[in-house]
Amino acid sequence: MAVARIRSRVESWFEALAALLCRNRFPAVIVVLLAALAAAAGLRNLVIDTSTESFLRAGDPVLERYEEFREQFGRDDMIIISVEPDELFASEALTGLKDLHDALASRVPNLANITSMVNARDTRGESDRLIVEDLLERWPDSRQEFAGLRARVLANPLYRNLLISPDGAVTTIALELARFAGSDDRSVDDALGLFDETPEDAGPRERLGDEETRRVIASVEEIVAEHRRDGFVLRTAGTPAVTDALKTALQDDMKRSVLLATAVIAILLFAVFRSVAAVMLPLVVVLLALLSTLGLMGHLGTPVTLPIVILPSFLLAVGIGAAVHLLAIHFRNMRDGLGRERAIIGAVGHAGLPVLLTSLTTAAGLGSFAVADVAPVADLGRFSAIGVLIALVYTLVLLPAGLAMTPSWAMRTRAPADRASEVTDKALAAFAGFGVRNAVPIVCAFLAAAAVAIGLAAQLRFSHDILSWLPHHWPVRQATAAIDRDLGGSVALEVVLDTGTENGLHDRDTLLRLDGLKQDIEADTSGTTRVGAVLSVADLLKEIHQALNENRAEFHRIPENPALIPQEFLLFENSGSDDLEDLVDTRFSRARFSMRVPWQDTLAYPPFIRDVEARFDAAFGDAADVTVTGIMSLLSRTLENTIRSAARSYLIAGVVITLMMIALIGRVGTGLISMLPNFTPVLLTLALMEIAGIPLNLFTMLVGSIAIGLAVDDTVHFMHHFHRYLERTGSVEDAVRETLLTSGRAMLLTSTVLTAGFFIFCLADMKNLVDFGLLTGVTIMTALIADFVLAPALMALRYRKLSRPEAAQRGDSE
Amino acid sequence: MRNALLALIAVMLLPAGAPAADERALEIMRQVDALDDGDNRTARMSMTLIDRDGNTRTRQIQTFIKDRGRDTLNLMFFLSPSNVRNTGFLTHDFREPDRDDDQWLYLPELRKTKRIAGAGKSQSFMGTDFSYADMTRRVLEEWNYRLLGERDVRGRPAWLIEATPASESVRERYGYAKSVLLVRKDVSMVVRAVHWLTTGGRLKYLDVTGLERIDGIWTRVELDMRTVRNKETQHRTVLRFEGVRYNQDLGEDLFTLRQLEKGI
Repeated sequence: MAVARIRSRVESWFEALAALLCRNRFPAVIVVLLAALAAAAGLRNLVIDTSTESFLRAGDPVLERYEEFREQFGRDDMIIISVEPDELFASEALTGLKDLHDALASRVPNLANITSMVNARDTRGESDRLIVEDLLERWPDSRQEFAGLRARVLANPLYRNLLISPDGAVTTIALELARFAGSDDRSVDDALGLFDETPEDAGPRERLGDEETRRVIASVEEIVAEHRRDGFVLRTAGTPAVTDALKTALQDDMKRSVLLATAVIAILLFAVFRSVAAVMLPLVVVLLALLSTLGLMGHLGTPVTLPIVILPSFLLAVGIGAAVHLLAIHFRNMRDGLGRERAIIGAVGHAGLPVLLTSLTTAAGLGSFAVADVAPVADLGRFSAIGVLIALVYTLVLLPAGLAMTPSWAMRTRAPADRASEVTDKALAAFAGFGVRNAVPIVCAFLAAAAVAIGLAAQLRFSHDILSWLPHHWPVRQATAAIDRDLGGSVALEVVLDTGTENGLHDRDTLLRLDGLKQDIEADTSGTTRVGAVLSVADLLKEIHQALNENRAEFHRIPENPALIPQEFLLFENSGSDDLEDLVDTRFSRARFSMRVPWQDTLAYPPFIRDVEARFDAAFGDAADVTVTGIMSLLSRTLENTIRSAARSYLIAGVVITLMMIALIGRVGTGLISMLPNFTPVLLTLALMEIAGIPLNLFTMLVGSIAIGLAVDDTVHFMHHFHRYLERTGSVEDAVRETLLTSGRAMLLTSTVLTAGFFIFCLADMKNLVDFGLLTGVTIMTALIADFVLAPALMALRYRKLSRPEAAQRGDSE
Repeated sequence: MRNALLALIAVMLLPAGAPAADERALEIMRQVDALDDGDNRTARMSMTLIDRDGNTRTRQIQTFIKDRGRDTLNLMFFLSPSNVRNTGFLTHDFREPDRDDDQWLYLPELRKTKRIAGAGKSQSFMGTDFSYADMTRRVLEEWNYRLLGERDVRGRPAWLIEATPASESVRERYGYAKSVLLVRKDVSMVVRAVHWLTTGGRLKYLDVTGLERIDGIWTRVELDMRTVRNKETQHRTVLRFEGVRYNQDLGEDLFTLRQLEKGI
């Protein structure tokens, strides 16, 4: 009885709130609008970040190692343009290549480096001459010279797969972007000012952001389009191009999903309530909540990252639920002849508590991601939970005040929906009877299905493959596949070897080991990841040693004489090439060992990384510090975090929501039992994923927690009303029927809105979003069916004693 | 009306004013170019390379420089660190714009002299922040000069002059989009300069931190060059010259391959 007393007290608080809002409708609306405006002002600070780094939290040791690496050696994520002419070593193709190279070099902003056959370092010896020049410094002008150039290029191991395909058909232009936005247009006085500034006091550095990267890619695409022609195939790939494509997809999908969600919600609201106010008020509420949430992200400097794409339409669909429940009761009250104000107060009093609780459970479901190690998922969790709560506040304030001030014509229903209502009522009543009368077989069937689903779900595999999120026909996806096929890879894994001593890399033994590792790794075909190319300082030394020895092939090795090594490096430094600084620090204590591998599902990378680590450990032991980094390690870390975060957030969401349910119902046993209709659909969806071959990735991992958070709303409404009616009627079947006929209609509508809201993602460009939308929609529908069938069955079993009339009086006692 | 008249006068004067400033700048640069730097010079150069983390490497080099007509002969031997001791460089810097410098290198451990082909003026001088062009005099005619005003450098008045390449080939050869030079008025020497590099959005800052009159010749005995990108120093080189002596008895036979292989 205590629970009933608390419930009625809370209801009276909500009624008092509604009455207050009806009296002060104008000030209430103005206050909310001003708050929304203040929050939405942050929209102008909102930035998009789809970079690989954005998936990790600031301070993540893997990210810090990567930043340190880039500080020393520059960026490893390059834009790669592959050039495939009919015949590469011919005047027309090379002229085309040079034109393209020059156009890129002069027009692409924020370019740190550009390397192609035009300017690749060509180090060779000719009699007493050591030639260090650009590969196309001297333009071949006879068939013979072209053939000579071809032979020279194909014979150079440093070019293979990095500059040219092993068959000589495809060459690349690699564009390294600046790490920080440049400021070439510095004024003279500004520039001179730096003479008197100490370097330490130099201003803060801005990482090259998505906007600058967008300008770079746009400029590259424009130039590539100008130079592309028949017989001169150009493709653009590389991590910056992939992340930029993802950004384009994100923006398109976000716009499309918001528009569609708004339209679908409007149509459904009108279909059910047939009133302009019932469409406009909830839409205004959720759109304001959305703008406030995104504005808040802007204020707090949280960027829009890939998973955030689901936030807007999610908030719209979820936020509308509370409004629907309030409106459903409000319109019923009006139909029952209550005055406008009484109807509002009655609706808020009746539905206020379940609306509050469902918002809290939804926020908890999402909030469970706030502790995720994958930064954008944590942001999504945090801000969608905040958004749900903002929507709740706006709903509880704006809806009553709005309803009170809406002109009568807008409240009027446009057409009777009686027939549809009758059909719905019949169906709902049928569900009630079916569930209660077949309780045992239904519960057994669900338990059996859940058991099978657990078995299937346990076999689910994780995945992190951002490229596979893009549609197959998108150019960057095809280009990456082509470049991986022709040149063996477009993703970098970097190893930094720290000898700990100055000139440690003058040590012959160290260089021999580095060279040995390169040979082993390149030759190994046993693993899932095949390395396309490896480059280290040892390669540079071998190249210069060969060139100093008249280009004889047998001298392509680390010099026998250790004393020669520093002198050859000095020679290289003085040759005018700055390539050494990309591979070794100025003290010759730290070296970079760079591997180019094909784009794969990140799942394949951790074993490869472990293998590389083991090889370095075997080669160097304690003699040197080895750090593995590069884009590949970031992707691996993201996958690792995804797995950990998924498990953690499922656990948090499950426990927190179960506790909330127990608190709401006031009984541990019934609370636990009532979670069955919520957990079973999630298990079924996980099983469905296994059957359909959909892996758990950053997006599909969200399905479980989000679905539990949402599905439980219906269960909350069901349980809340069921217990009210059970107290009143004393009959489980009557209570279930009454529950489904009143609250069931709103559950049906909100679930339909939510499912439609998630199914909208099936129209997205990004495949991961399609999977996410489909799976979440299916889960919500399954959960609704579970609430209509399994929940009544469970209640029938739980209160089976109440089938005897004398037990009716003990309905609320346990 | 009065303002309009002033504006009209200003417009009329402007075309005449700008060339006057350019003329003055050229005149100043001619004075800089005409400054006596002796026929030949020997010195011990210490070269300190400083990376962005503050790690330093120092090299000691014995240098011999001699004018040959408009060209310059240059012979250098590494004194330290010990693992490159006696490594030698011989260069012939040609004033002719289209002619690449000749460079030879002797590696004592290889016991071979190699002629290095393809080294351009814009390339780094021995892995420092200085380019070969920075180490030699600029050809006056290859640049357009503009007087931007006057500034003080460490309390001494200096002309502020902007130099822009006169042609695309000069721009490419030097690798500079433009330079701003501070020429100390009393000695007609460039004491500070900022060079805008054509690639990578970088700037190079030259600061002459040591200037001495040796054998009657104003000599830059300490130079600091910083490569800066977005206000952050990426790398820095400090060159110090000790034991500078001018107009010694240096014959052209010193600047030969035989001497390079023989060492000092």
